[in-house]
Amino acid sequence: MYEFSYVKPASLDEAAQLLANHDDAKPLSGGMTLIPTLKQRLAQPSHLIDIAALTELRGIEVTAGQLIIGAATRHIEVATSMTVRTALPALAALASTIGDPQVRNRGTLGGSVANNDPNADYPAAVLALGATVHTQRRAIAADDFFQGVFTTAIEEGELITRIAFPLPTRAAYAKFPHPASGFAMTGVFVAETGGRVRVAVTGAGPGVFRWREAEAALADRFAAESIEALVVDPSGLNADIHAPAEYRANLMKVLASRALRAILNSSEGAVA
Amino acid sequence: MSFSRLEDRRLVTGAGRYVSDWHLPGQLYAAFLRADRAHARIVSMDVSQAQAMPEVHAVLTAEDTQRAGFRSLPCAAPIPGKGGAELIKPYRPVLAAEVVRFVGECVACVVAQTEEAAQNAVEAIVIEYDDLPVVIGAEAAIAPGAAQLHPNIPGNLAIEFETGDAQAVAAAFAKSAHIVRLDLHNQRVAGNPMEPKGCLVRHDAGTGDYFVHVCTQGTAGMRGQLVATTGIADEHVHVVAEDVGGGFGLRFNAYPEYSAVMLAARITGRPVRWVASRSEVFLSDEHARGVSSRGELALDAQGQFLAFRFDFLNDMGAYIAPTGPVVAVLSIRACLAGVYKVPAAVANVRLALTNSVPMAAYRGAGRPVISYMIERLVDQAAVELAIDPADLRRRNLIPAHAMPWPTANGLAYDSGDFPAVLEHALEVADWTGFEQRRTQSAAHGRLRGIGLASFVEATGGGAGPDEVEARFGGHGEITLFAVSHSHGQSHETAYAEILSAVLGLPRERFRLRNGDPAVRLAGNATGGSRTLHGVGSALRVLADDVIAKGRELAARALEVAAADIVFADGRYHIAGTDRSVTLDSLIEQHSGGAVHPLDTRSSARTGGTFPNGCHVAEVEIDPTTGVVEIVRFSAVDDAGTILNHTIVAGQMHGGITQGAGQVLGEHAICDRQSGQLLTGSFMDYPMPRAIMIHGLTLAEHPVPTPTNVLGAKGVGEAGVTGSLPALMNAILAALRTAGVTHFDMPATPARIWGAIEAARAGDARRFAYDRAQ
Ligand SMILES: Cc1cc2nc3c(=O)[nH]c(=O)nc-3n(C[C@H](O)[C@H](O)[C@H](O)COP(=O)(O)OP(=O)(O)OC[C@H]3O[C@@H](n4cnc5c(N)ncnc54)[C@H](O)[C@@H]3O)c2cc1C
Repeated sequence: MYEFSYVKPASLDEAAQLLANHDDAKPLSGGMTLIPTLKQRLAQPSHLIDIAALTELRGIEVTAGQLIIGAATRHIEVATSMTVRTALPALAALASTIGDPQVRNRGTLGGSVANNDPNADYPAAVLALGATVHTQRRAIAADDFFQGVFTTAIEEGELITRIAFPLPTRAAYAKFPHPASGFAMTGVFVAETGGRVRVAVTGAGPGVFRWREAEAALADRFAAESIEALVVDPSGLNADIHAPAEYRANLMKVLASRALRAILNSSEGAVA
Repeated sequence: MSFSRLEDRRLVTGAGRYVSDWHLPGQLYAAFLRADRAHARIVSMDVSQAQAMPEVHAVLTAEDTQRAGFRSLPCAAPIPGKGGAELIKPYRPVLAAEVVRFVGECVACVVAQTEEAAQNAVEAIVIEYDDLPVVIGAEAAIAPGAAQLHPNIPGNLAIEFETGDAQAVAAAFAKSAHIVRLDLHNQRVAGNPMEPKGCLVRHDAGTGDYFVHVCTQGTAGMRGQLVATTGIADEHVHVVAEDVGGGFGLRFNAYPEYSAVMLAARITGRPVRWVASRSEVFLSDEHARGVSSRGELALDAQGQFLAFRFDFLNDMGAYIAPTGPVVAVLSIRACLAGVYKVPAAVANVRLALTNSVPMAAYRGAGRPVISYMIERLVDQAAVELAIDPADLRRRNLIPAHAMPWPTANGLAYDSGDFPAVLEHALEVADWTGFEQRRTQSAAHGRLRGIGLASFVEATGGGAGPDEVEARFGGHGEITLFAVSHSHGQSHETAYAEILSAVLGLPRERFRLRNGDPAVRLAGNATGGSRTLHGVGSALRVLADDVIAKGRELAARALEVAAADIVFADGRYHIAGTDRSVTLDSLIEQHSGGAVHPLDTRSSARTGGTFPNGCHVAEVEIDPTTGVVEIVRFSAVDDAGTILNHTIVAGQMHGGITQGAGQVLGEHAICDRQSGQLLTGSFMDYPMPRAIMIHGLTLAEHPVPTPTNVLGAKGVGEAGVTGSLPALMNAILAALRTAGVTHFDMPATPARIWGAIEAARAGDARRFAYDRAQ
């Protein structure tokens, strides 16, 4: 690590002020991505502003048909919260598949979404559910938020404060974990909310994306067979030492089908 | 709370002492500048900025190591090459002088007040390279026109070995009814012991002594290599080690960093410490396997094996590590025809140099290469001849009554009952019930396969005798000293139990000190699964020596002639009377002095022996994702006499799982163009996990060996030697039902799925996925 100053602000305002005052300051949430980056000397922030304990960024509640989760809420809290498990079981199940217990005990929703790793799980839920990402400045629709690999609509000094998930009528997430990292080699989140079906895919492409063909097919008929009839063009999907694009194209179909079967075969929309 | 192993309380409560637990007053920290490219000429290097940084004490380069009289890191061939050829040794400097030959090679060593300061200074070194063409993979290395790594090694071929009788094999092939051929690749893997390598060196300017705290599998070998590299006299080099967090072969050799840190300690006059990061472990720990091979088996019309012919082309990396040639050729030679009564066999073994990290020993050390080759070839023969794989083996196994068996290349297996081990394994695995299980799997859309491997191991005799010492201290505590270092093999428990059984003293009374520089012993490092029969035999001798010494003390105490005294159950009796004295009381009576009259140093020299086994694996494959699940694994092993069943089971669990790791995913991939390691972290390199194997059943089938007093054969590596071929045979059996006829490790989901898709499309190459491109 290079040297940096560690600051623990008492309020969101103070955190925002610190970020505004120091060009090279970075928010630190669970640190599960940022700390390894620092250890590898791949980043050299002047200050780390620790936002993990800010009360404004914590909490889980359901209001007006929405599940609202504070940005500093840890994965383990989402996975085990009775509120989440009742209102949006697919999201609790998703959180329980992230990394390992140590990572889930530290890593946070806001950190994951802000980081927008192309293989992260949460972005699929945020996009498929049409969630709204709130910052101290504005509200950003999921469709505008994710802008490709490690890129989001977040601006310098802007902090995610909470994420509001509209409650779906039915939803499920199916993930194929990467054999080494445990991240999503591919993950598919299927949600039907207010009569509209949205399907988001993580891991397969350069950043999370909506799978429009699947959405259209499911709007026609909400069944695994609709997915199985699709042909996925692998061009543009990720290819690396772990798998060719064709494999990820295949996984999209396999996982979307699993998600649908999970939705249709159980009352709860669990992870397939 | 009671622990089944004596070392467990210390290790599980965090009281173990590893290299990074050592701290010495005034210590400085080293950091290394490593080559960031695979093959390049160093045009210039400017360390002045780094040297001028406030907390920096020294920046060492090749100039300094040359000035200090350092030489090449050592290497040697264990046997002569074909036609008496010698190993052409590449010069391996501690710090690269003119050319860097693999990504991660050490170029400079910075010593500073803190670790951070040392790292900052490394970044301040200005170095200019002129890139040279990169050679990745052994085939590329020996291809005509390949860039040459070392001026003295034409065609990048360091040596070629031949073992066996090529003429007899040719004659057998000429009269055979069937010839089965198979090309296989045993991929390069990174071992990743849990403890990263590291060292802490103190130099005593007064005496000229170096105290090197280091991860080691055996202090004597480590010292020898340090002496060979640095030119410092043997009596001035003291290797210190307590707990070592895993080795698998990768903690055997003296890495160049250790010599550099020794020099740093001398130059700065301060203790210098260096502990590798996990990235450095990936980049600069020796890798292993990396063997391209061809096997041919000649059979007669009845399915009798007539001859084996093998070719092994080894990717040795950029230099030859000391254990590299040993691993490449000795196990092939020792296990050339496996468990089969084949009259002729020959293997050709070539060592090629490539622009990647050097290769060395890794659990199994070549036996998983030859067992994998033989057992896949035998399965291939079973398929081509439409004979049940168990049956084909039955027809060809060496019968028990033929022991000792003279092998086709002039060695001898001392003992074993291979047919009985096979039948035992088939029974444990419920081989005949497989079809029913396959039907059940098919109902769930899964492909199911069963595969077996009958194999022989060769455990080391060692390069010389093993010395052990026992010192009788206060409170009845007996301290044992031995060279072979525990890096997870339960030496403490095993040694104590050997002595406890003979001396009749509780095992808790024994303490083990492995790497204490005050007690210099001759002996072999931990390797080749030989510690129990090597050091164990020496301890058995030591026990007798102690009893003999005790008899003299007992004779004096009981006032009779020593000849009239018998020892049993920890007690010396005067024969035919009820007068006796316990060993324990003699220990107590004579304690208090600087030396105890029972203090003993003993030694033994043991030969190698041949553990063997039969493993049966069963897998399920999800054809939609290519995921392989190991649903059953049955291992029946002849490890000779078993002294501690828990330790044996632990070694088998670990070894089998380590094999499963390589089968299912481990692969150290270097980019063919740049030579960069593409799997340089746990985000990309899948380590085996404890949950990987379901339905694991172990069974012992001991046939004691006459080659050592304990009858033990060794068990540290049998797991991987058996699981590699058994698992791949099971996977291929499952894949064959989907039309796949050939498959190389690793069986990653994407590669399995690709192979099934290709077979379905009738075009084997369409989805072929060479991950190294
Ligand atoms: C071993 C391992 C396995 C993992 N496996 C998975 C997995 O299976 N699936 C998965 O999805 N993820 C996985 N992760 C990543 C994990 O979920 C991380 O916790 C997450 O990516 C980052 O969250 P964090 O709270 O730790 O953020 P940090 O590391 O603290 O921060 C990450 C980035 O986001 C910024 N940031 C943090 N909070 C905010 C905020 N509120 N507003 C704006 N910017 C912010 C930081 O400045 C930093 O740039 C894994 C990580 C590890 C180490």
